Parts: sequence; structure tokens; C-alpha cells
Amino acid sequence: MAAEVLDTIVTAETPEGILLELKPAGLTARLYAFLLDWMIRLMAMNVMLLILAPLGGLGVGLWLVLYFLAEWLYPVAFELSRSGATPGKRVFHIKVVMDNGLPVTPAASLTRNLLRVADLLPLAFGFGIVWVLLRRDAKRLGDLAAATMVVYEPTPAVRPSLQGVPPMLPSIPLPPRDQAAVIALAVRAPTLTGDRLDELAALAAGVSGDAGRQGPEVTRRVLGVAQWLLGHRA
Amino acid sequence: MTPLRFEELHAHEWTELETLLASTPRRKRESVSLRQVDDRGPERLAALYRRTCEHLALARERAYPAYMVTRLEQLTSEAHQLVYQQRVFGLGALRHMIAVGFPKAVYRDARYIGLAAAVFFIPTIILGVLVYRSPELVLSIISPESAAQFEEMYSPTASSIGRTRSADTDWIMFGFYIRNNIGVAFQCFAAGLFFGVGTLFFLAHNAAFGGAIAGYLTERGLGSTFYSFIATHSAFELTAIVLAGGAGLKIGHSLLAPGRRSRTAALVVATQESAVILYGVTVLLVIAAAVEAFWSSAGWLNPVIKYTVAAICWAAVLGYLVIQGRHAR
Repeated sequence: MAAEVLDTIVTAETPEGILLELKPAGLTARLYAFLLDWMIRLMAMNVMLLILAPLGGLGVGLWLVLYFLAEWLYPVAFELSRSGATPGKRVFHIKVVMDNGLPVTPAASLTRNLLRVADLLPLAFGFGIVWVLLRRDAKRLGDLAAATMVVYEPTPAVRPSLQGVPPMLPSIPLPPRDQAAVIALAVRAPTLTGDRLDELAALAAGVSGDAGRQGPEVTRRVLGVAQWLLGHRA
Repeated sequence: MTPLRFEELHAHEWTELETLLASTPRRKRESVSLRQVDDRGPERLAALYRRTCEHLALARERAYPAYMVTRLEQLTSEAHQLVYQQRVFGLGALRHMIAVGFPKAVYRDARYIGLAAAVFFIPTIILGVLVYRSPELVLSIISPESAAQFEEMYSPTASSIGRTRSADTDWIMFGFYIRNNIGVAFQCFAAGLFFGVGTLFFLAHNAAFGGAIAGYLTERGLGSTFYSFIATHSAFELTAIVLAGGAGLKIGHSLLAPGRRSRTAALVVATQESAVILYGVTVLLVIAAAVEAFWSSAGWLNPVIKYTVAAICWAAVLGYLVIQGRHAR
């Protein structure tokens, strides 16, 4: 399928034989999330220092232990939480999952975060960046070894609203993929400008017997066909 | 069948599954399991899940509109996570890991850990002896400034061992060393990804560094402050470094000689098996950090007490690994 060339979607098969689609998060989203997490950690540790410093030696000792925990176990703790994402990742709507789409396991979370050290080399996340850019599933070395992936949170589906468009019988028999294309156009219709919608509808004008013509009237008829394909009858 | 008719027929099942999923608290407690989802038990959820899988397959095959396929995808993926999630939390699992899992894994990977120990301790001893005999050699490993700083840190007149005398910088230096030492263990593991070479390098590098400092300070007559400082926490820290190094060699070996698996698959298996050791390493390092921060730095304690406690710690750590490991085999 042509879509496979453009998309980076990774599929994971469930025991029921269906394919779950995972959308790997690329370098930009992950980098932003990392920087945000880094700033959050920095601020939290500074606040802790303000609180603990007055306690003297004991406070500083405690702070150092906290620092160690924050540096190494901050991502692990958050990835094992319900959302499966650190606060930074949550802001950018990405999360960590196993290759098979399940929530990340403690073992995988710990190893992927410890292996970040390898991604840091030779400097400034060199290996990590190269791996994320080169791989279709955007895994860094730690993800590769721990069998995890950083994916986008699924976005809720939008129902097409075609109120007021009278359904219209297609003028030619349509194979399923063409039907899907016409319906997909109808779903996108509200997000497009009028002119662009007319242009796109003109490409599909054959379905309503208007091949070669363009304009709001043709668009209305194409959307009518979509309405009919969805199952609406006059 | 038109998409709308299909939806009309099955939407009540999807809504029911959505309600079931929404009413299930996930990962709160071990006791909150599928059984508490609903009176009709997990059977209903599983049945609905399988139905929805069927519907998704049909909807995809028939190229139904994206909004419907997406809804079904999200529904199945959410239910899939609930049905197949692994529950590995809880005190029982923790107790089992401490008593059996960790020592057993150490025993299983004894070959790698033995090699890591050799690569770590042999250079330490060699460099220690060499520098003790001819102290100027230390300058081939560290700069004169650092040598002077170490000397000052461990001089008996320092207000607190392991720190420099300036009050402003002492805890910064101290924090730096804790971070550094602890990072070393994780670094030794992670560098194993480079076919194990990175692990060998970091083990030997840190060993050479440590050995040279020890030899130098001993020659300078500062041995008693230095050894009483490191003796206790090193029981946890050095053990953790060697164990982490062993895990690093294991993943390196899986890449070099993957056997009948692909390299990636062999790496995933080796990493999964190493995870148990890394749990143990993490716990050991937290203990090491706490001991280093609160106990080792206490200069007012009599060295005899420190050495006694250190001996007990070493015996406890090694005894635990050997005895429990044999036991668990």
C-alpha cells in the first residue's frame, strides 16, 4: 500500500490476530520532552536544596541521595505510573510502551533508562540522535535493548458531520478503497477551506458522474455520495 | 453492510466495553484485578474484547470510515493493555527478588561477573603497587592539581574526611564524587552495548584511577584516613560496579555471539535477564550513597569502629550473594 511508504506507523500483532497501530515519536517531540523533564528536575532539586540546606550536613547528605534518585530513577518512576510518561512526555503527548503495545514493564523501564548513558556517547546524545533518525520506529539504543518504543498518544476520533447534505447514489460501482477515500474526504471537509475542498472534490468527481467539472455544486454532490456510502438513505 | 448499519448493530457492545474500561482502576494495587471490574467478572470484558477485535478486523477489511476504525483501534488497544498487562509489583515479588531472584541471577552470570571483577581488581592492585613504589607515576594518570586536592581531602586535619577545607565548596566536591562514583556503575553497564568493549574500558579506567589514588595516598602516609573513609561504602559500591560490569559484558557478549537469534533479539533477551541484576545494583548504589553521605564522611568516628563496620558490610554483601545464590540454584 502506498500509505506504508509515507507513514512511520509500526504494527504490533495481538494474540487475537489484530494489528495494533503505534505511531513512533520522532526526534523533535522526544528532544522537547527531554529538555522539559530536565528543567523540571533541575527546579525540583533546587527547591529541595532550599528546604534541606538549613539542616546542615544532614540536609546536604539527604539532598545528595535525593539527587542520585532524581538523576537515575525519575524517568523510571514516571514511566511506571499509569500514564506511562514523564511530565515532559505528557506535555508533548508521547509515552513509552513495549514493542507489543503493552505498558512498559519495570525491567524494561529500568534498562532503557540506564542505557541512556550509551545514547549520550560520544557527546550530546550523539548515538541516540543518530539511531532515532535512522530507524523507522525511532528507537534509541536503550529502546532497542529494552524492546520499548516511544509513541504518540492516540488522538480521539472525529465523527464526520454532514448534516444537511442529501445522500446521493454513486453513479459508478466503487471498490472499498475508493469508498474509503470518498468518506475520508467527507471527514476532512470541515477542516478544509472552501476552495481547497472544491479542488479535492473535483478529483473524486467521477463518483457522482461529474468527472472533469469543479465547483461548490460538484462538491456537494461528492459529499452526498459520501453520505450515501456511510449508510444514510434519503 | 453500510458503515452506519454496522455501527448501529454493534455500538452497544463498544459502549459497554468503554464503560467497563473506564470503571477499571489500573495498576493501583495488586488486589484490584479484573475480578473487581464487574459482577459478571472478567469473562464479560474478555468476551467484549474479542468481539471488538473481530469488529476491528471487519471494519478494516471493509474500509469503513476512519473515525470508526480509530475508535475500535483505541478500544481494542486499551482493552489489550488491561487483559495482557503483567502485574509484577508488590511486596511478595520484592521479597522473592531479594531472597531468590537477584542472587540466582548473579550466580547464573558468574562467568561475566568474574571477568568484570578481574578486569576491575587486577588493574587496581597493579596500579596501586606501582604508584606506591614510585609515586611520581600518579601524575601520568591525574594532574598535579588533582593530586594535591586529593591529598588535602584526606589529610587528617581536614574538618571532615573526603571534603576539601573550604566550606563553600566542600559539599559541592563531595556531591561531585558521589555522583561520579555512582554513575560509574551504570556507565559500566551501558557501555556494554558497544560489544562489551566500553564496559572493559570503563572498568579498567576506573580501576586504574582508583588504584593510583590509593597507592599515592598510602605512600603519602594518608592511608588511615583514606581507607577508613572508603572501606564501608566500597562494600556496596565496588560490588555494584562489578555486578553492573558483569551485566554489561553479558549484553556485549550477546551482540558478539548471538547464537541462533538475530543480534537484536539476543540483545533484548540478555537485557531482560540483566534487569534483575540491575535492580540489585540500584539498591546497592542507594545504600552506598547513603553510607557515603552519612557514615563514611564522619571524621570523628574512631577508625577501628569504621573498619569493624566495613568488615561486617563486606561479609554481609558477599555472604548474601554466595549463600543465597547457591541456595537458589
